[in-house]
Amino acid sequence: MAISDVQQYMHLTDEEIEELGRELDTIRADIEESRGAADAAYINRMIRIQRGLAVAGRATLILGTASRRTRVPAAVAGAALLGLHKILENMEIGHNVMHGQWDWMNDPEIHSSNWEWDTAQPAEQWKHSHNYIHHQFTNVLGYDNDIGYGIMRLAREQRWNPYYLGQPVYNALLASLFQWGVALHDLDIERIRKGEKDPAEMKRQLVQILSKGRNQAVKDYLVYPALSGRQWRTTLIANASANVARNLWSYMIIFCGHFPDGALHFTEEEIQDETRDEWYLRQILGAANFEGGPLLHILSGNLGFQIEHHLFPDLPSNRYAEISVRVRALCEKYDIPYTTGPLLRQYGQALRTILKLSLPNSATSSDQPEPPTPPRDRKRRSDQERPSRIAELGVWSRGRSRESKVS
Amino acid sequence: MLTQASRIHDRSWVVQCALSRICGGCAMSLGRPVAFLGTAQEVGRNAFHLPPLHVECAEELARELAAGPGAGTDWRLVRTAGFEFARPGRDDADQQPRFVPNSLL
Repeated sequence: MAISDVQQYMHLTDEEIEELGRELDTIRADIEESRGAADAAYINRMIRIQRGLAVAGRATLILGTASRRTRVPAAVAGAALLGLHKILENMEIGHNVMHGQWDWMNDPEIHSSNWEWDTAQPAEQWKHSHNYIHHQFTNVLGYDNDIGYGIMRLAREQRWNPYYLGQPVYNALLASLFQWGVALHDLDIERIRKGEKDPAEMKRQLVQILSKGRNQAVKDYLVYPALSGRQWRTTLIANASANVARNLWSYMIIFCGHFPDGALHFTEEEIQDETRDEWYLRQILGAANFEGGPLLHILSGNLGFQIEHHLFPDLPSNRYAEISVRVRALCEKYDIPYTTGPLLRQYGQALRTILKLSLPNSATSSDQPEPPTPPRDRKRRSDQERPSRIAELGVWSRGRSRESKVS
Repeated sequence: MLTQASRIHDRSWVVQCALSRICGGCAMSLGRPVAFLGTAQEVGRNAFHLPPLHVECAEELARELAAGPGAGTDWRLVRTAGFEFARPGRDDADQQPRFVPNSLL
């Protein structure tokens, strides 16, 4: 069920939703006031580690594969180091820098205007398709292109047709070729097919994609293999493996953000005249977290705190863990669902949705939670508010049929 | 080149510029520093309504506004490395989205 009015769906009063908005504003203000040298040191450390991984990976492949004895372990180690470099660069550094999370540092390099990440999609197009389209219209059907990436059906409200029977295959292809899928994302192939895309804009974007994609391919599949001399083939395979590993990882993390059970969809009515407080609420209801240790959160770009990221996409990612404690407490206070769980369970739910929605609705059942009941039925009551019959434990404990006979 | 100058008061355009981090005047990626054009009052409050701009676009827009619809207003330009994007609350007196420069240069 897609939601057309988040406030009504959650049974929150005007006062409650306004107070929620004010409390979230306070969290934002607290982080803005306290960010400083320790945060700057964090992102600089991440970049040093990422570059160290890249150098170590490239060097291992070029030097280690020269000897027959070390060739295989060097190829495996080099691919692993390169994969980690790409994951760290894409997830924790590139994605967050391009949100403007570190612009306040006034660093000429670590800035949303000039960071170009190690993946096929041009940064400019990512900032449109992700920062604007996805973050402004999060989980709104027909607006947020991340719902299925234009090739899959991920909401029961999306009309089924036989094309979707192939969804498990499209999903596997998208996962393994994720950087190329993302590269084409902002082109909006559906609008091109319908003839709605401005040809000049399309040409400009295509030139950007071809240029960036060519540079990525030349780097990984030509220059570095060539530097490995006779072992070029080993280096090429290792580079391809690193790219595939990064693709699979980033795909899984991103799909865990909005497709586990509990992450809800919205209709376009919701965003008409949406207030800031309702926008906050939609971000909470439309996103899903996953649990894990600090290393998992760093390697996933702190997107295990997807809810916090959607509430505050331009606050430094290293602060999401502490923000999450306060957001979760607010959700408990206002009885708002806070979707989270272990990474594999969250992905398992997303994968189940992908498989189920390859079939028509009539063949499957929904896994989304039931809507919350009105607050009069779910809020914690004081003794005075409880009906007097609660004292008559004997009657209640005998069950409904007996009770009805008594009454 | 100010291809989008007619949209600088359009709310959806302002939001798009804020999130996509593009210049409200020419629609191209923002650079560093980011420029904001505002009245003396906006500069005093450090809260701006016009979208972020390239410095060159801001200077050109200031000239156009001074010669046209914004004549009589003392347009001022501030430079910053970054900004916060503030959505208006339901009961805010100011119902327009605002930009708060966070590292003035």
